[in-house]
Amino acid sequence: MKRAGAYLAVVFAGLALGLGSALWLAGLWPARSTMAFGDVDVGGWRSDFAIGSEAADPYTRARVARHGLLALAKTEAVYFTRATDDAGAPLREGCSYRLAGGAMPAGWWSVTLYDGQSMLPANTDGALSIDAERAGGGAWSAVIAPKRPADGGLWISSKGAGTFDLTLRLYMPSPELLAKPNAALKPPRIERIACEGAA
Amino acid sequence: MKRWFGPLAVLLITAVAAHALALYLAPAVIMDRAMAALEARGVALHAFTTPQRVTPQTQSVVRSSPDLYYALCRYDLANPTARLAVRMGDWPDYQSLSFFDARTDNFAVLRGTGREIAVRLLPPGSAPEQGAIVSPTARGVILIRRLAPAAERFAAAAEAGKADACALDPVSR
Repeated sequence: MKRAGAYLAVVFAGLALGLGSALWLAGLWPARSTMAFGDVDVGGWRSDFAIGSEAADPYTRARVARHGLLALAKTEAVYFTRATDDAGAPLREGCSYRLAGGAMPAGWWSVTLYDGQSMLPANTDGALSIDAERAGGGAWSAVIAPKRPADGGLWISSKGAGTFDLTLRLYMPSPELLAKPNAALKPPRIERIACEGAA
Repeated sequence: MKRWFGPLAVLLITAVAAHALALYLAPAVIMDRAMAALEARGVALHAFTTPQRVTPQTQSVVRSSPDLYYALCRYDLANPTARLAVRMGDWPDYQSLSFFDARTDNFAVLRGTGREIAVRLLPPGSAPEQGAIVSPTARGVILIRRLAPAAERFAAAAEAGKADACALDPVSR
């Protein structure tokens, strides 16, 4: 009887270990909510080109189901996510950043800010993203901050976002981008301007 | 030492089995919950729902883009004779018609910039037909995306959306 009880405890421990490790590695654990993962890394922007396809490994499938449901396959769109600035610090509402880039190898692109739950931040600023049309065809820059910049330039509001990440959508990607992303894509840079309380 | 082999083997086997099962089931469970949430938000079965512009207050799916018009149609082709007629109306800018099965796979996507697209969706196991796509699972979601980064463009996309259709063929009802 004692032996049976011990085996029962081992089974429960095994189930907890297996379930917990799966949720953790797939990014489903509540504390691990970022989508900044994948086998493609271009200047700190990460993507998994298997998103949306049957080829995706089970970890990618589970993570995308939670954080990128209804994402398109790579022939139509690719998604890059970044959760840190150029210095490697996590992106957070308490800081302001300059996002700067140029033309992208795609028919249309956008950069959108999401909070730690992969949702748009709960504000009414109407400044959730920038896209190719607003940025124009050449070099561009935008400010990410909880308040509208005084110069009236491009702005993504981080108000109410807490710790956040950015998703770069590239629709109608060029064949070169899919074949050699590091050579074809010059991704936006994220320079920290200032942080609340910093000297 | 020998007496630990049994419990350790049981621990390993149950952990690996639970790990694999959780990963296998996660997409379907999440999709099922998402479809229930979409239903609760008024996304119809076998009809495209006229969308609201995506804002923090209206978002219903994670990582939606505020620059796109999204029209959703849930489908259920459990009846093997069912045929779903799907049409995406004309739109001068980027638009696509994408199909997602119950395991979240994007099993088909049709780009329709500047033109209308019509296609039939068939239940799993159906024989291939000209102008038709076979769904890998009975249930799923169809999604139209239109590029509409400004309020007036979104209004125009909604007007174009009046030509969209997602309905069971009368013969299969």
